[in-house]
Amino acid sequence: MFIELSPGPLSEPLSGRRWSPAEIRTHVQQRVSRYRRLGLSPGDRVLVLFGNRLEFFADLLALWRLGCCAVPLDSRLTDYEICVLARAAGARVALTSGEPPAALCSALGALGVALADTAASDAGDAEPAAPGPALDQDALILFTSGTTGQPKGVVHTHRSLRARWMSLRQSLGVADFSRTLCLLPTHFGHGLICNSLFPWLSGQELLIAPPFQAGLLLELGRILDEHRVTFLSSVPSVWRLALKGSRPPRSGHLKRLFCGSAPLPAHLWRGIQEWSGTREVWNAYGITETGSWAAGTSVGAFEPEDGLIGEGWGSVVKVLRARTTDTPAAESEECAPGEQGYVWLNTPALMRGYLERDDLTKEVVSEGWFLTGDIGVRDDRGWLYLKGREREEINKGGMKIHPGDVDLVAEQFEETVDVSTFACDDALYGQNVAIAVVLRSRDDETIRRLYLWVRSRLAEHQMPVRWYVLDAIPRSSRGKVNRDQLAQSCSSLTPVNMRSVLGH
Amino acid sequence: MTHREKLLAFLDTIRRPDRALDVDEREGLVRSGLIDSLALLEIITWLESEYGIDFAERGLTAADVTSIAGILEIIESRQS
Repeated sequence: MFIELSPGPLSEPLSGRRWSPAEIRTHVQQRVSRYRRLGLSPGDRVLVLFGNRLEFFADLLALWRLGCCAVPLDSRLTDYEICVLARAAGARVALTSGEPPAALCSALGALGVALADTAASDAGDAEPAAPGPALDQDALILFTSGTTGQPKGVVHTHRSLRARWMSLRQSLGVADFSRTLCLLPTHFGHGLICNSLFPWLSGQELLIAPPFQAGLLLELGRILDEHRVTFLSSVPSVWRLALKGSRPPRSGHLKRLFCGSAPLPAHLWRGIQEWSGTREVWNAYGITETGSWAAGTSVGAFEPEDGLIGEGWGSVVKVLRARTTDTPAAESEECAPGEQGYVWLNTPALMRGYLERDDLTKEVVSEGWFLTGDIGVRDDRGWLYLKGREREEINKGGMKIHPGDVDLVAEQFEETVDVSTFACDDALYGQNVAIAVVLRSRDDETIRRLYLWVRSRLAEHQMPVRWYVLDAIPRSSRGKVNRDQLAQSCSSLTPVNMRSVLGH
Repeated sequence: MTHREKLLAFLDTIRRPDRALDVDEREGLVRSGLIDSLALLEIITWLESEYGIDFAERGLTAADVTSIAGILEIIESRQS
């Protein structure tokens, strides 16, 4: 597989820093030299505990030059979660930006993970570039769930990543991406593989900004104008804030916008078109396992509609009757136009599998076909529409939260008898996290201790915003909780006033 | 009820449960950890519905709504 990867310039619109391709080469070579001295060698897995900075991209290329596998983590994770993931990844080194908290240093040290501050690399020697990795070496591990217990790490090789970028070049071209802004986190498939690396490694300029920063979103129109941005992707919750608070762009540089990772309602879609002054606002459908963007609205003239995705990008998209991998996708019957079924994707950008979890991989991959977990339908034109999701997942404005991760923490609290986490409606994020618990003692002090227990183990964005203390959680005869039904029954109850319980 | 009291009562409904509403008036609400970054949308929506402020017409910068003092200035400038 041949695809030329040549990084374009990198810049930070907020700080004003900018690296030319020649400067990037130097920064990468300095890191190759330093990380080799630290003992990193091919196959090593390296945590990257920061993102959305120029140095992150230099580190990524340096690790790949050394044949290492990068494991970017969400910097908002708690120390507890970082250690769970470090153990799962078998990481040797963690790259930081600045000095991490002492507790984290000592916890990672106890796991045998050495820390290296990225800033220290810029002063060193620049060795000639290492030869680079083989195509089938692991390049990237992105954890999508299990931060509190059994981590699910999506492993991409250089081959699968290149397949994604090559298919995007073929489907979308690169001209409209000449000055791409990334406002999404770089530990996230959508933000990293597609919004950032696809344009940047195609030689286009990448402008990288801190993720989900409200101040920036309120001035998005001005920033797009001043930095002559031609493209950016984002998630619906970001657009809700930008449309409400920012003036529209006026310079006419913007060529195309994508929205993804969460359902894009038609009214919001039209609002983005109106605000941006372009009809080239596409719904991009992607899953970390398929290297993110695998389909989208590149279908010519269309009107925004709820659930409309469009056509595959370097992927064969099918809506099948098969809902499990027990039946090979190739043998399953395809749904007729208008008939709802299960969305399957076949793409050379498919992950190698889940890290050390062949059992989970077998549940979603069958003879090269990937079972997305989404329910969809195709119309007479062959356009894909999404109608829902079968997997248990809370989509908080594009951030995927797995109820089981929250359950696992809450059930370890000494007073917990039973627990179930579920999605609740949220005007800002679409969905948010709610939790029902059964406690041995339901006094305020116990609830307060439960909150603090969970808070110390879960990142902020995973924290439940509604808490229900119940006498019992209804379970089926097989002991399963129907989280949708639980959400419905809790919707008529008053949640715990946690502010009052916490005494603030 | 003064504008300040109304604003504090509203912020009390959107703040993080484990953060007390005792931030300095000039301190950033997000920076102090009192609210989530995207919760600024809730403040903007509240200002629109409570005071009829049209931000599309008025314009907005981040500094306007990121502190209690900034929000009170918006309300008071609308009153004058």
